Amino acid sequence: MSEGSPTKKAEGPEYIRIEFDLPRRYNWSTGRYLGKVYAEAKENKKMVAPRCPKCKQLWARPPSPVCPKCKVDMGWDWVELPLTGTIFQYTYQVYPLWDPHEGERWSNPHPPAIILLDNGIYFRHLLEETDTKKLKEGMRVQAVWEEDYEKRGQGFQDILYFRTIEE
Amino acid sequence: MAGRVAIVGVGQTHHTSRRDDVNLPEMVGEAVRAALADAQLSIKDIEAFIFSNMEAFEGIILPDHGMIAEVGAIGKPGLKVTGGGTTGSEAVGEACHLVSAGLYDITMVVGWQKHDCGDATAGISAAAVPTAAKGMVVGAVSEFAKQALSYIRQSGAREEHAAMVRLKADRCACRNPYAHLKLGLKGLEDYLKSPYLVWPIRLLDFCPQSCGACVVVLASEERAKKIHKKPVWVVDFEVAHQEPFSAGSFGDPTGTETYSQDVAAERLYKRNGITDVRKQVDLAEIYEPSTWEEMSLYEHFHFCEKNEGWKLIEKGVTEIEGEFPVNPSGGVIASNPIGATPVIRIAEAALQIRGDAGEHQVTRDVKTAIATALGGPNWTAMFLLKRSL
Amino acid sequence: MAERAAIVAVAQTKYHPNRADVSEEELAYEAIKQVLEETGLTLSDMESAITCCQDAYDGRTIASLSLQRVVGAHFGHEFTVAEDGINAAYVAMAEVLSGHFETVLLVSHMKESQVEKSVIENCAFDAILMRQLGLDFTSAAALQARRYMDRYGITPEQCAKAVVRNRRNARNNPFAQEPMDVTVDDVLRSRMLASPIRLLDTKPISDGACAMIMTTEEKAKKLTKKLVWIAGVSNCYETHYLGDRELADCDALVKAAKKAYSMAGINDPLSQIDVAEISTEYSYQEPLWLEGLGFCGRGEGGKLVDSRTLEMGGQLPVNPSGGVLPGNPNGVAGMARIAEAVLQLRGEAGAGQVEGAKVALAHGYTGICGQHQAVMILANM
Repeated sequence: MSEGSPTKKAEGPEYIRIEFDLPRRYNWSTGRYLGKVYAEAKENKKMVAPRCPKCKQLWARPPSPVCPKCKVDMGWDWVELPLTGTIFQYTYQVYPLWDPHEGERWSNPHPPAIILLDNGIYFRHLLEETDTKKLKEGMRVQAVWEEDYEKRGQGFQDILYFRTIEE
Repeated sequence: MAGRVAIVGVGQTHHTSRRDDVNLPEMVGEAVRAALADAQLSIKDIEAFIFSNMEAFEGIILPDHGMIAEVGAIGKPGLKVTGGGTTGSEAVGEACHLVSAGLYDITMVVGWQKHDCGDATAGISAAAVPTAAKGMVVGAVSEFAKQALSYIRQSGAREEHAAMVRLKADRCACRNPYAHLKLGLKGLEDYLKSPYLVWPIRLLDFCPQSCGACVVVLASEERAKKIHKKPVWVVDFEVAHQEPFSAGSFGDPTGTETYSQDVAAERLYKRNGITDVRKQVDLAEIYEPSTWEEMSLYEHFHFCEKNEGWKLIEKGVTEIEGEFPVNPSGGVIASNPIGATPVIRIAEAALQIRGDAGEHQVTRDVKTAIATALGGPNWTAMFLLKRSL
Repeated sequence: MAERAAIVAVAQTKYHPNRADVSEEELAYEAIKQVLEETGLTLSDMESAITCCQDAYDGRTIASLSLQRVVGAHFGHEFTVAEDGINAAYVAMAEVLSGHFETVLLVSHMKESQVEKSVIENCAFDAILMRQLGLDFTSAAALQARRYMDRYGITPEQCAKAVVRNRRNARNNPFAQEPMDVTVDDVLRSRMLASPIRLLDTKPISDGACAMIMTTEEKAKKLTKKLVWIAGVSNCYETHYLGDRELADCDALVKAAKKAYSMAGINDPLSQIDVAEISTEYSYQEPLWLEGLGFCGRGEGGKLVDSRTLEMGGQLPVNPSGGVLPGNPNGVAGMARIAEAVLQLRGEAGAGQVEGAKVALAHGYTGICGQHQAVMILANM
């Protein structure tokens, strides 16, 4: 710290620490729209998105009862998404950071990426390949589903990650 | 807006990573007292309080309630706003509405965040839709990493430009007694030693989590002129939220979408007859969470042409002695108590207009300034401040 | 500068103990859709939106992120007020009167079923000094109830009478969650939660949303024939630590009411106000808040509840909608009171209508033992 800054760590012996855990549990509802995505993923291993009746855009992640851009009622026109595409952009985590859902610091080894699906929709997800030296933008990838029916029901996370495929 | 509003007092704490010497109300109280001293008012003169804070970071709900005594708001009206990074600007905006509507003559906006109470990254990760993004979001860092990648791809900026932004911020921060990170960085080598957090964002590219508070006192036209010799007029402000881009939160790698910054800037400039920003505006205090974002914001706020933000920093245009200074306070990269940060931008711009910024006062005479705020996902607030109406 | 701010449409969802069928966004949209349909406006017509929600209850930092789409905030303005709903309306009024925006959408939502209320409420208490005492809003309210009753001799029977009337009035309210015919005995025999507060002295867990549209008077005249405008409004904070407060008083409410009355030109509230919708999550709050609002003297709240004054057909019907006790999420309560007041002033309150209502009061509070209070006076043309 530069000179002249008056804030200092309070001097003296160590602090008294009192620790207590206060977990906050939540019961979130997916609601109708996200609920449909969850149901299709669990039952049929399909990823779906609603289509706006006015601008015809697909709003995949997350879906919404109102079109974000047109601001009209979304309606109930669902389109299945292709599950192959190319890596449009990816990054990778180096430093372990806090995850509020897990309550601990960790570094997800799977790189987060934006996949350009074959129908032109951008879809955010993780990549299977943990060695980032093997990754390049433009590589073809394919979704890898959680095959165990009992373990599905996590919505978008029913797709574990996207795997690079040879073409 | 109908009734005119001016800033008649500003106060901040010395922003730092830990304030073990004070509790939350005490820390905020410091800024309140500083603002009252600056305005030469007593707490009795303040008619209403608007609080700005993101409660996720301290784990307290209704955090304004806990500090009522220390802040001097017992028996007074007020309320709290919560948002994202733009919370502080929303608070100032609403305070302006209350004064402009004739409901109060003097209000106080109190923004704060005490990040040593919690973890900012975890708090921001919790902003993702809980049923749709578990494990995917790594705070704001990953979102700005994507923005950086988009910016590099579109503009051709390089790491040395990000380094230049950081070096500028640090030089300014070392001249600002309130700034948090005063690192004394020497050059590119220091920057390159900094580790990556989420590639390509290095530790030095990204704003810190600071403990700090900032307070501004706003007054109606009638009272402002009696209170302060140099009231700073809040002439106009504009807010634009936005849906996340189809392929990112803060940056659009496709290069096809409109940024809220452009929308807000165009509306604000048009309403106020600004056609040549660098001539008609003298200074900008912008909200830049990362070095790459600062370069991108130069473009979206029309300080330069598209894809040329990095040239501006290369040429030194935005330095304190530069032709168009940006963030002479050190900006968000040097100090980031999130609930207070937009208020700091406004307060610092006001100090510059008054000529009271001391060592970090810019060379150019500041008659008109812009202060901006940024929140997730890519929300923008822009304030236009003037020395005289 | 606009002269007056008018509310042109209001809507509420039917309050329900567990709306697991909808997300927060969809719940808010149910209410928003109704006000849009009623006025024929679209989301694109909204120049600004004020949301009223709490991060902690939604379990999401920046709770208003869920609402961005359903309030039409893309390239628009949206602000979040983290206090009871009356304050959101206050801010909307300021936006309209300042001339910055002409049409403002307001929405308040909360799903209490999502959380363990006590845990969230415990986080409102000072982390170092009070949190580990395990207090929540109910146990703190019990402290206040006990103090108030001891000081002024208010009896549990009088508090129970408030419950009886509110639950019965709720039978006339299509949005009410649990209308009920209860007797004073039923209340006094219900399970003790935190002495002296029993189960029937308080409200059930509730999910719901409330939306409204506010405009300038000029624009309102183009949208509706039944004009309702805001005549007065104010809010006030009290100090935080329970030990620093005289819990048998409600200074913040007294001040907020005084300022709101003065703005509205009211100096005799009992005779000048035709109907009052007040927020009471616990039965003892009815006599206490009525004293704070100046409808009777200090310590006389019990007598007021005993009398016929507050009944339908009485001099000042209080909570013809049933109020909060039959079920209202605490974040929505205040805005719902405004909505009910508006329905009264438009003559649309159905079986619960107070004949010829011209001036209505809406009240809400936030925080521990009503540390923050807000009062709004509405009138029709």
